Amino acid sequence: MTQQKLPELDYNKLEIGEELGTYEYVLTQEMIDEYRKSVDDPDGAFPTIAVKHDATALGLAYEDNTGGVNAGNEIELHNPPIAGKKIRVTGRIHDKYSRRDKPYLVIEATATDEDGRLIERMRTYQMKKPDEVGKKWHPQS
Amino acid sequence: MASTELETKAIPTLSKSITQVKINQFESCGIRERENIHNSPELAKQRLGTTYPIASGRMSVAFAAELLRKYFGPEVFHHSGVVNLKFLRPVKEGDAVTISGQYNSSAEVENGTLVTVDITCQNQNGDTTAIGQGSAVIN
Repeated sequence: MTQQKLPELDYNKLEIGEELGTYEYVLTQEMIDEYRKSVDDPDGAFPTIAVKHDATALGLAYEDNTGGVNAGNEIELHNPPIAGKKIRVTGRIHDKYSRRDKPYLVIEATATDEDGRLIERMRTYQMKKPDEVGKKWHPQS
Repeated sequence: MASTELETKAIPTLSKSITQVKINQFESCGIRERENIHNSPELAKQRLGTTYPIASGRMSVAFAAELLRKYFGPEVFHHSGVVNLKFLRPVKEGDAVTISGQYNSSAEVENGTLVTVDITCQNQNGDTTAIGQGSAVIN
């Protein structure tokens, strides 16, 4: 099967409210275990945080050659996901704006499982000039 | 637990040691296998100009979620929890991040009492790496 070439992400052409599509995957016990190890939390119940539902939706819709820096996250938790269940994720462009001459993109994803249980809703505030952030952390003399 | 009990209940403080192994493990939970600024020094250098990969801010979201789960209890937090963090400084391998919380307020809402907690993440130098709030609804 040939892989479809994705359109390149053009910040200026993105529209608020634009749907990023829907995808599904099976949450495995291995993913849960790996997540719990990575954050040193044996009771961590939302490995979906590490699956990055919203960024994955954007990445499945567009080829993003700019990248971005995560400026912030909001997550609403509704029901812990269950190992072995299929997770269905729908993504959208929630907002975009400029602050201090930097372009921000807000992406959102809503996840439900195969039984229709709402799992979580995640939003990420991406700053789409990542090199600016690097300069701030490591100012050039 | 009544919301009034939460006003005086101690909020646990968490300490997390950040290693590149853990950063990579976190990234490996994704369903798209790819290099990014978290697991590739080359890409971090190219995109950020840093000499090291940085931890995903979402790791701090996970840490804050653990803190809030321990405060509210999983039966409450797992069904009404919210975490809202703003990332201020990078977290990287070798850092020790301390996540702490402080009771902020309670407000009556349609289905119970919304209890809000201020959250701060600091590194070993005392620099704030993330700041924000978390909440849950107590019935």
